[in-house]
Amino acid sequence: MGISITDPFYEEKQIAMNALYRVVDPELFVNIVDLGLVYGLDFAREKTIEVTMTLSTPYCPMGEAITTGVRNVLSVEYPTKEIDVRIVWEPKWDHTRISDEGKRQLGIRVETESFYSPASSGKTYSSRI
Amino acid sequence: MAGVNIGKAPGNRTILPFYGTGAIFFLLLTVMLLLSPTTLKGRYFQPHLLAMVHTAALGWGTMVIFGASYQLLPVICERELYSSWTAMLSYFFLTSGAIFLILSFWLFRTGVIMITGGSLILIASLLYLLNAWKTAGSCKKYSVQKCFIISSAIWLVVTASVGLLLAVNLRYPFIKGSHLEILKLHAHAGLAGWFLQLIAGVSTKLVPMFLLGKSDKEKLLRWSFLLQNTGLVAFILDGYFNGITWRVFLYEGMVIAGVIAWLIYLTDVYRNRVKKKMDFQMKYVAISILALLTSFLLIPAVYYGADHHWAIVYGVFVFLGWISAIILGMTFKTLPFIVWNERYKNMNGKGKIPMPKQLYKENVLNWQFRCYAMALPLLALGIFMHIGTIVKFSGIIWVMVAALYTYNVAVVIFHKRRV
Repeated sequence: MGISITDPFYEEKQIAMNALYRVVDPELFVNIVDLGLVYGLDFAREKTIEVTMTLSTPYCPMGEAITTGVRNVLSVEYPTKEIDVRIVWEPKWDHTRISDEGKRQLGIRVETESFYSPASSGKTYSSRI
Repeated sequence: MAGVNIGKAPGNRTILPFYGTGAIFFLLLTVMLLLSPTTLKGRYFQPHLLAMVHTAALGWGTMVIFGASYQLLPVICERELYSSWTAMLSYFFLTSGAIFLILSFWLFRTGVIMITGGSLILIASLLYLLNAWKTAGSCKKYSVQKCFIISSAIWLVVTASVGLLLAVNLRYPFIKGSHLEILKLHAHAGLAGWFLQLIAGVSTKLVPMFLLGKSDKEKLLRWSFLLQNTGLVAFILDGYFNGITWRVFLYEGMVIAGVIAWLIYLTDVYRNRVKKKMDFQMKYVAISILALLTSFLLIPAVYYGADHHWAIVYGVFVFLGWISAIILGMTFKTLPFIVWNERYKNMNGKGKIPMPKQLYKENVLNWQFRCYAMALPLLALGIFMHIGTIVKFSGIIWVMVAALYTYNVAVVIFHKRRV
């Protein structure tokens, strides 16, 4: 998920994304941002932060642990706001959403040839596996 | 599609007893092996061997598989488990049934104890079928995995029903055909129906999940399902009406073709996996598949060989090779996550907490693997070469495998929250 510098909530979203790096998928040992599970953050509502995200597998037994983790870390940064985690299955998650750092942690070879990938997390560019 | 329910895993009270009890039965099985090594020299229809086989099939294999299935059915079927209460009930029936049956076979007391044991197992399998059927939704949204899971549960009920009839027949003979011939049908309904189809169905969902892999060869799985079931139904019907003949190889060929289709699918997933780092536990999967293929190769020797040792070696590769290897490995891919989910789920992201992989002793798991890799070939060799000393020695190593496994399972189950 990329955050545009022109976004009116750029700073808030950066803080939230940094916090979300602390939420780790217990099966893969990689944080959910680098896994590309976070699709969007919405600060438009005054009292609520809406996180749109997915899971690598529907009905993942670890799903509740991950969404709880999201609420936990965002509650620390924004204690007065309600955290609304919305799980979606479209667009479907696949490995092309994993960032280069995530790939490295998973032992996936990252080639130097790069291409533009809007799905890559935080960074504008990711590499072909 | 916002706000989709991600489902909740059944409570640990439902799942953990299966793992803990399964480990104890495995330990019991290896102790039986150590105490009664001469059993493996005789024919397969003898009290101690029947007790061992039912310890392996029910107390060990089915027990752990029930527990894992109740945890994984929601993942595979993408809906919550139909009834945790029914799952717990099935635990009590399976455990008590296994104890009754094992005891009655070991002492060879036909009659009430054996028939009660068989009845309890049948009730447990019916409860499992109910949960699988209701959770899988009888293949409304077509998925070959759901078909495998439901068909395996039906085969379990068939196996348990025939087993109960055989138990009754031992005390009150009523079956006109040969008891031993029906016993072969009972055994293969359990092996190729219950165990094989469940493992096939579950693995084609879990292996892609663990490896982050995929395959577009779904068609192979449909062929696998069709071939395995057609081969098995033909084997049982022909075997029942005409006895076991050379045609068994035709049916075996169909089942093997189904297994090969399934393995090609898994190989394709492995090739197209994202996660390159392989978990240690996946070594067990490799051993399990090798043991399964070895057991297939042994079938002609079992059929034509005058020496009954072939049947015992075949059983060793099936129960202690194929089924045990998959359980020994996959326990530590599932159990730590189940326990972690309860102990640490609400603390995720709050601070430094152990990951599921850190809930068990990795060095113990390594030693368990080393011992297992020695115990299996040694036992098979000892029986094949008719060398009692090797069988006895392998029995000691088997006890070590089971002790290490049980210890590690206990470490996970009784893990106390560290934060």
